[in-house]
Amino acid sequence: MADLNEARNQLTAKLVFYGPALSGKTTNLTRLHDLLAPELIGDMMMLETEGDRTLFFDLFPFGFTAPSGLLIKMKVFTVPGQIMHDGTRKAVLSRSDGVIFVADSQRNQAINNAASFENLIGNIGTVGIDIQNFPLVVQFNKRDLPDILSETEILARWSATNWPLFFASAMAGNGVLDTFNALLDGLYSNLDKKFRLETEHGLSRAMFISAARGKR
Amino acid sequence: MSILPLHFDREVSLLEALKGVTLDRLQRVLSRTLGHRWQIIGADGVRVLGTDIAHVTESSIAVPLRIDIDVAGQLVASDAPRAQVEAAGAWIEMLLAASSRYRMASDIHLEAMHADFETLQRQHAALQASESKYRELSEQLNQRVQSQVDVIDKAQRQLYQAEKMASIGSLAAGMAHEINNPIGFIRSNLATASRYVLLLTEAFENMHDEFRLPAGARRDDIDFALTDFPSLLKESMSGADRIARIVANLKAFANVDCLTDGDIDMNEVVQAATTILADQLPSSVVLKTDLQPLPHIPGDRARLNQALFAIMQNARQALDERGGVIRVTSCVMNNQIHVDVHDSGHGIRSEILSRIFDPFFTTRDVGSGTGLGLTVSRDIIAAHQGHIAVHSIENVGTTFTIVLPIQIDMDVPQYEEDHR
Repeated sequence: MADLNEARNQLTAKLVFYGPALSGKTTNLTRLHDLLAPELIGDMMMLETEGDRTLFFDLFPFGFTAPSGLLIKMKVFTVPGQIMHDGTRKAVLSRSDGVIFVADSQRNQAINNAASFENLIGNIGTVGIDIQNFPLVVQFNKRDLPDILSETEILARWSATNWPLFFASAMAGNGVLDTFNALLDGLYSNLDKKFRLETEHGLSRAMFISAARGKR
Repeated sequence: MSILPLHFDREVSLLEALKGVTLDRLQRVLSRTLGHRWQIIGADGVRVLGTDIAHVTESSIAVPLRIDIDVAGQLVASDAPRAQVEAAGAWIEMLLAASSRYRMASDIHLEAMHADFETLQRQHAALQASESKYRELSEQLNQRVQSQVDVIDKAQRQLYQAEKMASIGSLAAGMAHEINNPIGFIRSNLATASRYVLLLTEAFENMHDEFRLPAGARRDDIDFALTDFPSLLKESMSGADRIARIVANLKAFANVDCLTDGDIDMNEVVQAATTILADQLPSSVVLKTDLQPLPHIPGDRARLNQALFAIMQNARQALDERGGVIRVTSCVMNNQIHVDVHDSGHGIRSEILSRIFDPFFTTRDVGSGTGLGLTVSRDIIAAHQGHIAVHSIENVGTTFTIVLPIQIDMDVPQYEEDHR
């Protein structure tokens, strides 16, 4: 949960890329690191094994200052997708303020997507997050690959849910920002409700999203 | 696990961020680079490393130390040029990055282990719950098997007893038929003979004067014979009657005649049983009955007869050669029929009192008792929704009390179930 440190006048939010193994969570984060140019931008911290599989998490921290002087810090994490790392996923997911679920569009990954999404919903409950008011965005990645589910098929399956749905090719960078902005939009609603960003800190929704984007 | 691990993504102080670094060596290395007047200060202004703050002057050079995007503290040096201080600051930041990377990895490892452990514990608890459920189920199953075994045991006992009774019954029926015929003509002949004796006596008295006695015959002897003859015949008649009665009782007891169930009078049952027992009793035993009028109850006459007879036979066997009293009473108490069978016999030892209804428990010699009489009695009374109580004092006597409800719910097919 977003945490306001009044002594240091900073607000820290935690965002998480979730999804099955090899669906492109780290790729999304790396692209985000390349695409965003906020006021403060930290180095990517990657903890991975030899096969480029995320072991514990990846972290990309960035931040910007609101007109009131409040420093807003974002810590964007990825979870390890492999089934065995469920304890790590729970640790990363706990206290988070929003999730992007990165699904693999390839036809043969449908079962893995479903299992991982079920795991996400289960873990959201386990770590004590109220899913009703939790920003969750779904991204179908790897649109550039052959033998993928068509957008019609995916929409038919997901349109019944009210989670925003995006298509992306993270490798090329397509759709990464749109997905992330949708999450920021949901996050802003929650933060504004709790910390009155607009009224007390002079930070509007549009400013919030463009400050994260930065000038590049 | 009671202690929760620290969150891997918590904000840490500069000192904590340097936890994995050997501070002595860092201090030596920095002193070689920056001279002796330098220090590292945390965000809270407290010195973490270096010499005392007192030497900080206007000319000191300070560079911020960042972890990620946070300024976690600063490096202040008074003796070194800016470029050198900035370079040293960059080195320290690299050290901090590597160190926090290591710390976060180890912290998340602990958190993950904790989460996994909790999952395991939940699964363990679920397993235990399901195990205890199955254990309970198996116990219930055991109980059900045991109760089925009991039902079968009981049915077998009753079948055994019923077959015994049936064979006695058919034997009795056969015997009764065979005995009744000769008894019939014996009785009829004895009656005719009595009339002949009367005629003879009359004739003899009328012919008194003309009648000449054959040689050797004495008048006294003939008078005596004529007087004694009717009493002999009478005695024989009563003997024949007794045989007929025994046969009738045997038939009644074995229930050859009465097979219908319906409303019965327990007093009739008591009378049937006492009549048959009375014929077996030696003269030293007195059998008394005190029967109050009873309402009729639905029941199986033959089985109740059997139950009561077994108890009365027990009473008889409790009396030794010195004899004693057997008293059978009936009355209505608390809307229940009570039939008491009391004997003044040797009583039942308290240590075996609890076992007398057990199947095959007997105190008689091998071959003389089956050990089933009381067991079957109890089963029969229970089948009529009643119960048997026993009260015994050693060397004073024993009282068996049969209690039967007046309202027997015949819709409860307990009795039928026990027998099929």
